[in-house]
Amino acid sequence: MNRSRLGWSVTSGALAILFLFPLLWSGWASFRTGSGFGLENYDRLFTSDNGIRPMHVVNSIVVSALTVGGTLFVATLGGYAFGRFRFPGRDVLFLITLAILMVPYATILIALYVLLGWLGLEDTLIGLSLVLIMFQLPFSIFMMRNSFEAVPRELEESAQMDGCASVGTLVRIMLPAVRPGLITVGLFAFLTSWSEFFAPLILLNSTDKFTTTLAVVNMRTASHGSIDYAALEAGVVFMAVPCLILFAFMQRSYVRGFTSGAIKG
Amino acid sequence: MTTVISPHREQPAAQASRRTVRRPRRRQTRRAWLGIAYASPTAVMVALFFLVPLVLVGWMSLHKWPLLAPPTFNAPENFADIGDNELVRSATWFTVKYTVIITVLLFAVALGLALLVQHRRRGVGFFRTAFFLPMAVGFANASLLFLGLLSDEIGPISDLLRAVGLVDGYVSWTSGSAHSALGSAIVLVLWRFAGFNMLILLTGLQAIPPEIYEAARVDGASRWQTFRRITLPLLRPTIALVLTLMVTGSLLAFDQFWILTRGGPDNSTTSLVMVIYREAFIRLDLGSAAGISVVLLVVLIVFNVIQLGVLRRRSN
Amino acid sequence: MARYRARRVVAGMAAALLITAVAACGNDDAAGGGGTEAASADDGATLTLWTRAATESVSKAYAEKYNATHKNQVKVTAYPNEEYPAKLASAAGAKSLPDLFASDVVFAPQYASQGLWVDVTDRFGALDVKDKVAPAHVKAGTWEGKVYAVPHTIDMSVMLYNKDLYTKAGLDPEKPPTTLKEFAEHARKIDKLGGDVNGTYFGGNCGGCVEFTFWPSVWAAGGGVLDAEGNNAKIDSKEMAEVFALYRSLYDEGVAAPASKDEAGPTWLGALQNGKVGIAPGPSVWLGLIEEKGVKMGVAPIPGPDGGESTFVGGDAIGIGATSTKAGQAWDFLAWTMSDEAQIEVIAKNKGVPTRTDLASNKYSSTDPRVVLINSLMEKGQTPYARNFNASFNDPQSPWLQTVRGALFGDAASSLSTGNADITKSLQQS
Repeated sequence: MNRSRLGWSVTSGALAILFLFPLLWSGWASFRTGSGFGLENYDRLFTSDNGIRPMHVVNSIVVSALTVGGTLFVATLGGYAFGRFRFPGRDVLFLITLAILMVPYATILIALYVLLGWLGLEDTLIGLSLVLIMFQLPFSIFMMRNSFEAVPRELEESAQMDGCASVGTLVRIMLPAVRPGLITVGLFAFLTSWSEFFAPLILLNSTDKFTTTLAVVNMRTASHGSIDYAALEAGVVFMAVPCLILFAFMQRSYVRGFTSGAIKG
Repeated sequence: MTTVISPHREQPAAQASRRTVRRPRRRQTRRAWLGIAYASPTAVMVALFFLVPLVLVGWMSLHKWPLLAPPTFNAPENFADIGDNELVRSATWFTVKYTVIITVLLFAVALGLALLVQHRRRGVGFFRTAFFLPMAVGFANASLLFLGLLSDEIGPISDLLRAVGLVDGYVSWTSGSAHSALGSAIVLVLWRFAGFNMLILLTGLQAIPPEIYEAARVDGASRWQTFRRITLPLLRPTIALVLTLMVTGSLLAFDQFWILTRGGPDNSTTSLVMVIYREAFIRLDLGSAAGISVVLLVVLIVFNVIQLGVLRRRSN
Repeated sequence: MARYRARRVVAGMAAALLITAVAACGNDDAAGGGGTEAASADDGATLTLWTRAATESVSKAYAEKYNATHKNQVKVTAYPNEEYPAKLASAAGAKSLPDLFASDVVFAPQYASQGLWVDVTDRFGALDVKDKVAPAHVKAGTWEGKVYAVPHTIDMSVMLYNKDLYTKAGLDPEKPPTTLKEFAEHARKIDKLGGDVNGTYFGGNCGGCVEFTFWPSVWAAGGGVLDAEGNNAKIDSKEMAEVFALYRSLYDEGVAAPASKDEAGPTWLGALQNGKVGIAPGPSVWLGLIEEKGVKMGVAPIPGPDGGESTFVGGDAIGIGATSTKAGQAWDFLAWTMSDEAQIEVIAKNKGVPTRTDLASNKYSSTDPRVVLINSLMEKGQTPYARNFNASFNDPQSPWLQTVRGALFGDAASSLSTGNADITKSLQQS
């Protein structure tokens, strides 16, 4: 018994080190300067001509916040509808939503650009966020649908018998029951929108709207013929830190989120 | 039609059942309207931001579509030309090959990890987090990370292998040879997505009631037999989901090749979406790009429909 | 009910599609052809200028100086080099190009042919400096006789050599090679110094790098690479074969750094900056960047195998976005960039190459004879012209890169001949 436990620990430990290695190395490399260690790379990242400015970070935060909020709103309502109600067109709409996964960016980006133009949303953070929300929908709605389906019917029924209107039921009874799912959806929406590159590149025009990822890539390709690897890693670490913190914070909830929305076929 | 009657409350249930029996259709209609109301934001988002552009893409695939000048109808030229396009052919072959390799490897790794951490033991939370952590880095950023990691300039891999003597002199992992380029991309994807798929498989594993395992143990089944006869079949729907995600994602692969290998060396790692990108943005032939996209979309739909059908039949 | 709903959805989609199609099909007359020209072109308009990251500092320098002395204000936005074409294509597809945008000069024929820039033939013809502005760039921005773009920045290829390594190898640091064969000899001598010193370096996995550095040798030998219209390739000429063979032998002998084979561009400069490469062709703008690292550098024109000199006149061209409504004001800026003030105080002062041939020696350049040399090369160099240049030569998936790889590391003879056919096919693709 002990030997197998030891074997398990060693295997898992070795694998964990393997998986953690790239991130650890990246952190280490970002602090390495020509002669030892220091903050030189970060300095370059923020102060060089086309480095990261506070406004880039603000833009990233705004876009992420809008995307998370919007995704949660649409996916929660949608997941509730798909998981608990029956109405004509339900399955078709659900499948079309999933089909969003089957289309690559490059294909619809120009069409989206045109579309945003007409809606008067071109070169706006709101327009960008709407597009990002759309790309989040397949995963988020699938997740929320499963979470809602897993809630025992009794819960919902008893609330309705107590006279709750539908929205009340939703907010007061259902939402708390699917909290792990909500956290998972929110977390993934944040992770994707925070580090998104292509959509902001195509859909944003003014430098003062650029997000952090754009600034990092811009910095990388600034001078033809040289990649500033160290600053690049500093950029990667800088972008990853908020995500890692959020992760660690919500670690238990999102695992439960997956488990609560027990994947059915 | 008939609502589930809660066994705990007798009196109100009887009342409720009388209420519902008297007007089942009204309630159902009301619920249907509610459902539509809740689903409407989704419908709007999907219709406006997905279907409209998609229909436009379909329309574009039937035209020669210059950037500024008016388009001219030219169907089915965009589709017919795909056959002549040597790059499309090699990219298709590569993308399919890549999909098969990744699906097999990623599935094996994810399943292995899931089996490893399925039981509640001390430290299992830490391991689960460690495997899942790569998801915290955006995919574009993860590709950039690996670019540095595998580089000769600051990356430790080359130095490590040189120190051990497995490699000597200068070596470029991302563009030295077709195999190492593909290998670099595969390692990146495995690292980034194993944890995610592990979690999905984990939930499937944990949904299997322990009583079944108990019964098997009592019947004297070996670990392997249990795995093959009980775990795998019960895991089937989860496996189907995971495979769908992997296959779809691999057929649409772009970022890792764009950032790590630029499709090289010698076009050996050029994926289909890269070709679409090239048609649209380098050759400025939007009609052709739309054509290839439509074909790719149809293939994916067909694949997923087949896969869904197979799954449904198996479940029955 | 489902059917009613479905019908409404379909109707909605059809309407949306119709509007999209109309918007997309509509000929955009907002392209400020020249009709609406403000009485004074400097009326305080805000002009948006797009450029690629590599050119950002120069574009910004132009804009700063202009903004300080004019009412119009130019706002510069830079995009990552590799993704810049995608950005331009998307904006064009959505009919919302900026007021001004610059691009790699070899892409100018393509953009001009697509009508992405406003036709400025008359405006340009009215300038008195029109014959003194880099003619190769102006040609690049010309399509079917009409001028669409003017020069923005100049970047030429030269031979960069490490004076210290030259001295160490017993070569005269003031006597750079005058023929390509001599260059090979010098490289071999330096390589003999051993250690991690290499004779030369090139971008063996980068189509753009190779065309930039090898083609001048072909031109210097009197050969050609493309026909005048850019519809036929001539890369299987004996001059090209000779140049490829020379570099190939340097690689095979180990004189060219082994890393050259995989160099796709991003680490090209870095390789020269570490001071371990004897002599290599590269962009003239790198002179300052390499010297910053403490390496003493010399400059020489790129010669042909048996003599002659030439250069690839690269850099960026700039034009007025076709969908801009401020063409008059935008032209005011462009005209200013070609003025004495701009070229001397902005470009020459920052060690750049002026786009004006008559300003090649100016008060800033004369302080460094190497700069004078570089500037004078402009009239000896060429800028290749082809509509499908990017897809045929620069793109990593281009037939040119395949040809390069084959010529340098594979079967040279067949690569050049099949390559020529493939490239020609790509050039003629509509």
